[in-house]
Amino acid sequence: MDGKSNPTKGGGVSPGTRLAELVKRNRAVIVFGVFILLLPLWAEHIYKGISIDILFIMRLVGVFTIAAVGLNLLMGYAGQVSLGQGAFFGIGAYTSALLTVRAGFPVWLGIALAIAISAAFGLLVAPVLRLKGHYLAMATLGLAIIVFVFLREMTWLTFGNDGVRNIPELALPFTHITGFDLPFIKEKLQRPELYFQFYFIWVVAIVVLALCANLVRSRVGRSMRALHQSEVAAEAMGVNVSAQKIKVFVLSAALGGLAGGIYANLQGYIDPNMFSITLSISILTMVVIGGMESIWGAVAGAAVITFLPKFVEAIPKWVGDAPKWLERYSNYEGIVFGLILILTMVFMPSGITRGLSDMFRYRRSPFMNPFRRKAVE
Amino acid sequence: MMQAGDVLSGDARDDLLAAKDLTKTFGGLAAVKNVSFSVSAKAIKAIIGPNGAGKTTLYDLLTGIYLPDEGNVLFQGREIVGLATHEITALGVARTFQTIRLFTGMTVMENVMVGLHHRTKTGFVKSALRVPSGLREEAWMREESLRILDIVGLEMQAESLAGSLPFGQQRLLEVARALATAPRVLLLDEPASGLNAYETRELGGIIYRIRDMGVTVILVEHDMGLVMRISDEVLVLDYGEIIAEGTPEEVSADARVIEAYLGSEID
Ligand SMILES: Nc1ncnc2c1ncn2[C@@H]1O[C@H](COP(=O)(O)OP(=O)(O)OP(=O)(O)O)[C@@H](O)[C@H]1O
Ligand SMILES: [Mg+2]
Repeated sequence: MDGKSNPTKGGGVSPGTRLAELVKRNRAVIVFGVFILLLPLWAEHIYKGISIDILFIMRLVGVFTIAAVGLNLLMGYAGQVSLGQGAFFGIGAYTSALLTVRAGFPVWLGIALAIAISAAFGLLVAPVLRLKGHYLAMATLGLAIIVFVFLREMTWLTFGNDGVRNIPELALPFTHITGFDLPFIKEKLQRPELYFQFYFIWVVAIVVLALCANLVRSRVGRSMRALHQSEVAAEAMGVNVSAQKIKVFVLSAALGGLAGGIYANLQGYIDPNMFSITLSISILTMVVIGGMESIWGAVAGAAVITFLPKFVEAIPKWVGDAPKWLERYSNYEGIVFGLILILTMVFMPSGITRGLSDMFRYRRSPFMNPFRRKAVE
Repeated sequence: MMQAGDVLSGDARDDLLAAKDLTKTFGGLAAVKNVSFSVSAKAIKAIIGPNGAGKTTLYDLLTGIYLPDEGNVLFQGREIVGLATHEITALGVARTFQTIRLFTGMTVMENVMVGLHHRTKTGFVKSALRVPSGLREEAWMREESLRILDIVGLEMQAESLAGSLPFGQQRLLEVARALATAPRVLLLDEPASGLNAYETRELGGIIYRIRDMGVTVILVEHDMGLVMRISDEVLVLDYGEIIAEGTPEEVSADARVIEAYLGSEID
């Protein structure tokens, strides 16, 4: 017997009820969508005051959200730790950059192919998924290093350390029709491209978030969580564990590629050092602090990790004479991320989104006391 | 597609599942040695034997978790050695685990829904897009899992976390989850271990109910009371080898069995 022969009852639900249900189910998407829609209203006002260009940075947050949510499917839900998400991000970025610069492809096609090439590369290296736990983490770290070295050394293709310059910007399509070109809009919005990029990226990111949220609540999502907890049991329940892992891995790679593709066209310039293992570790940190097994945690994680350095950069402007070591912050950013990673895992193991929502829901501290003795089982 | 409720048709084969000369060694130690047996449809067959006799290893061979060094396993006349575990499950051989392996972070219902995995088909794209056929299938999965939970008496706990259930109910959830795969043969690995007398009695009733649904049950169990009460046939393993096979009465009178068990499980 299968689903088809068993249609659910209740065909007579009124459209109103159905709409109410739709709104209820998607309330997170709606609330967040409205937040994003209105963000420029206040962001542009406080921009000068705090010396942090929120709109500008939020574009990057959107990009990293896409990469982090992909990694969260793989790592948080399916339990396959990967230190290689930066590699797929890099492959996506280079695919889009090289196709648009060298072959003159339109930006949208460059980004589409960034997804495809990253996914294909994910499929190619998917056999690493036979490794488990730390071994998988090591192998994916190796992957990130190899990709980085290739990007640096294959100068005939990638220009090596010189980087790819003059990547066409993610610019307004059909500027004549969209009205962004109209003089009065130009007057009102000093930075129309920035607005376009901001909204474009967040529309993509929100669609990705909504689709992933659907996915994890489905039959597929359950099979991912099941194999995370026991591969043997999942397999004995009829789940093709290795095939399912490969699919999640490829999906995760595709989302990394999408993020990278957009990133290249956002920055206008890329070089291999942007895609070193530090990037993989930053994305991993976003997932961990946002919260494993949390789709919306990816947004929070991406926001914290992306805004943090900008805050540190802005401190001297606020206080006048900031300590000298702050200026060299970028040199030890890796250490700070590592510390954040450790502190989150110790004090807030379920991540900030769950930690904070539990605080409101159950009125308890979002921090865990790691020294409290656990009840003996 | 079959389901747990199907009753076998008239031409039910005698040998639903048969093992032939199965051998599995672990570094010189033969955990299972030349084991041959068969089980006919709608029977309850018990496999007993002292600790380390090779019962769990035999299950692992039957379900494709281990490859045998030698021997064959036929299910409905078809060789299944070499198939992946999930393929064997899809054919109709399901099992529970001696060391409980529930998806503890998921709800009771979700655990059972994972058991419905191979009977459903909504994939990545349709799940992400929430297409109507996928939603209908999801609704069916919820209904079907409640129906199955009802068989083991866990429908009231459907929304609890599997890991929060008391031990006895976790064992029953293992059974329900295996039942969700719509098996023709259900392999239970010490389902009564850790249960109190009352729970064990309930379990006996549940096993009968499953058998009456047309499912063949193979039962590895140390609780001799339960074994003697409900099984049609008993097979006794010792050091990986079959030392006796027959009705509960025959087996409990067998001299080698008494010797193998001397001073242990049989009181
Ligand atoms: N993966 C393995 N590697 C090495 N030896 C193993 C392995 N699995 C089982 N064995 C050995 O094979 C023998 C049979 O073990 P098995 O678990 O099948 O026994 P059992 O009959 O299920 O025992 P119990 O009643 O304690 O569950 C034991 O001696 C065990 O130590
Ligand atoms: Mg055992």
